[in-house]
Amino acid sequence: MKTIVITGTRKGIGQALAQHYLNKGWNVAGCSRGDASIQHEHYTHFSLDVSDEEAVVAMARTLKKQFGQVDALLNNAGIASMNHALLTPASTVNRILQTNVVGTFLFCREMAKLMRSTKAGRIINFTTVAHPLNLEGEAIYAASKAAVESLTRILARELAELQITVNAIGPTPIETDLIRGVPADKMEALLQRQAIRRMGEVKDVINAVDFFIRPESDFITGQVIYLGGVN
Amino acid sequence: MPDRSEIETLVLESVRLLAEDFEIAALQSADASSTLYASTGSLDSMALVNLIADIEEAIDEKFGASIALADEKAMSAKNSPFRDVSSLVDAIIERIKS
Repeated sequence: MKTIVITGTRKGIGQALAQHYLNKGWNVAGCSRGDASIQHEHYTHFSLDVSDEEAVVAMARTLKKQFGQVDALLNNAGIASMNHALLTPASTVNRILQTNVVGTFLFCREMAKLMRSTKAGRIINFTTVAHPLNLEGEAIYAASKAAVESLTRILARELAELQITVNAIGPTPIETDLIRGVPADKMEALLQRQAIRRMGEVKDVINAVDFFIRPESDFITGQVIYLGGVN
Repeated sequence: MPDRSEIETLVLESVRLLAEDFEIAALQSADASSTLYASTGSLDSMALVNLIADIEEAIDEKFGASIALADEKAMSAKNSPFRDVSSLVDAIIERIKS
């Protein structure tokens, strides 16, 4: 039975991804700052902050004891804050960088250690179209995801010798809490910049994740796929 | 706090297992004086990365201590703690104590 680690499983895309892999017969280890929202015999929840190094290391040790190894990691946990740069406090900047960059890095580091024995590990990070589209009002969020993309490309090289692939998915806006509060006209303008002008759906993300995870994708690494025809 | 010989045994076990995995003949019967990562050592950088990860994991499992061997101190040290088994054991003791 394969094991997948998914961060940010309490709601939204992370929760849907967890359900998807549970339905496919995987062990799913999820985490969020709060309690679990999923009850399943093959689901294990860790309540932690993804940027808390000690907590992430402790989670990895528990997984090692429980499952022996980890086959895949989805670094889904992320936070956004839409605001004009002139009105963005440093505390917000730090919070976003901690969760999106430090959290992603810590999970890559600790889970890659547990993937070494599989000789077929899969890491999938989450970026955003806000980065290639240079969206106003999302300077820090987009910058944090630019860092995630750089991390993805470099880790792809560093982990290649361990037969671990590292890729990233950049979803378009999807109806989740992350875009709650974005005015309708802004959202429409954003959709007009996509090749395929519709809101994304969770199934679009799941499809791209499945592609990166399948065994046949062992020659695909360091890639970023944006949904909706953004580039 | 484990004593020096317990830590040395753990390091040597990790080195020998790694030597089998990476087919490094010179380290398959490693002892305390074996050179690891130095100009005359047998490990390449990827093997060293694997060894450090294995040892950190084993230290936690066996002694319940969570340590980071490749910290800033190790990286800036005049004499690398990874040059031989003995220096690696010293580095582990130092980190478990702190």
